Amino acid sequence: MNKLRILTGLILAMTLMPLQAHHSTAMFDDQREITVTGTIKEFQYTNPHSWLIIDVTNDDGSVTTWGFEAEGPTTLTRSGIRKSTLPPGTKITITGHPMKDGRSAAAWVVAELEDGTVLNPRAGFVAR
Amino acid sequence: MKNTLMSAVYAAGLALICVHCLAQIPSPDAERNAMIELGKQFDTAEDLYNYFVDQAGSNTGISYDNMPDWSGVYSWQFPPAGLAYDTFQEPGKLADVKLYPEYQQKYEERVALRDAGIEFDPLGNCQPPGAPRGLSEPFLREYAIQPHQTWLMNEVASETRRIYTDGRTHLNELDRFPTYDGDSIGFWTSDHKLVVHTNQLQWGMYQRGQPDYSDQIELVEVYQKADDKTLVLHVWAYDPEVLMEPWYTRKEYIQLTNTDKQIRMHYWYCFDGQNNAVEEQEDGSTNFIDFDFD
Repeated sequence: MNKLRILTGLILAMTLMPLQAHHSTAMFDDQREITVTGTIKEFQYTNPHSWLIIDVTNDDGSVTTWGFEAEGPTTLTRSGIRKSTLPPGTKITITGHPMKDGRSAAAWVVAELEDGTVLNPRAGFVAR
Repeated sequence: MKNTLMSAVYAAGLALICVHCLAQIPSPDAERNAMIELGKQFDTAEDLYNYFVDQAGSNTGISYDNMPDWSGVYSWQFPPAGLAYDTFQEPGKLADVKLYPEYQQKYEERVALRDAGIEFDPLGNCQPPGAPRGLSEPFLREYAIQPHQTWLMNEVASETRRIYTDGRTHLNELDRFPTYDGDSIGFWTSDHKLVVHTNQLQWGMYQRGQPDYSDQIELVEVYQKADDKTLVLHVWAYDPEVLMEPWYTRKEYIQLTNTDKQIRMHYWYCFDGQNNAVEEQEDGSTNFIDFDFD
């Protein structure tokens, strides 16, 4: 039970941590979160970071393309997120820390698919 | 008192050479303190390395019929303080390291700027982490062991450190030049510890938001599998330009469960795709150059 508590705490801690790969996260506002619902346009599954590109239809009917940055393929694989997990056309609701400069991009914190599957890109940082 | 201290120090040294002694170390704090004291007994990394050479005696080396099993894919489980070089650093506090005042001031200024959102990591410009920073990257690692050399492979920047264990010495002093990973020689003990001495390193940061090291830094590393899944590293950094005394830390690299073999190392190029390109801003912060979401 203690091991389970420690593991749970570690996973929670990883969830709260910023992106870890090759650049500073200074461009993201870690005090704010935005959540959008849209359709996956492309999953750029690349090192050192991956990008989930999503088309979001605005209230006025226009479409804004958003990019959500996550860790690279190996950390995502460790998190249970493979390239095939998120094919184009998939409906998704995603939360992230937005860019400070207002561009339509964010650091991916957590996402949820229509079937309720929750995708945390940093869960893989727990070495096990 | 001195005898007591020296006994503790030599016990620590013996513990690194003798697996049975290592198992008798009573607690992580006691082990850490003993290792710190061990490092302080020597003026240079070379002296500490030679101490381990002497302790190992003549029964060193491995053969193809007698090699440790470091197979699999590993990752460093970073501590609660996050990307901290020193496993023992506490969250929200500075590293417990004795820096000369100039470097302490630079370290504190770096942390203050980071907390204000002003930070740029040289890795963003495709600089490899090198050593010792590479010891504290939280991504994948693999190890390739042969009797005459061992490769320590790090996913970040696709780095490979070569540890020569064939008895060669470092380059002649007049022929040395600094590089990100330096020049590493080492040996295997009879109980399969890999002891490494590295010099010829160049300037770097211990990790993002951590102190600098200079091109005077040298390392002594001792690796050993503690159990089937855990590779333990003891490492001492000596840097007469930056450190008032050696900086010791201990790390654990965990062999990942990889039943379906889908977790594997991939090439790491920092500008792989337009959306991975970042640049340093005039104020020292970081931003993306441009996005391509089309």
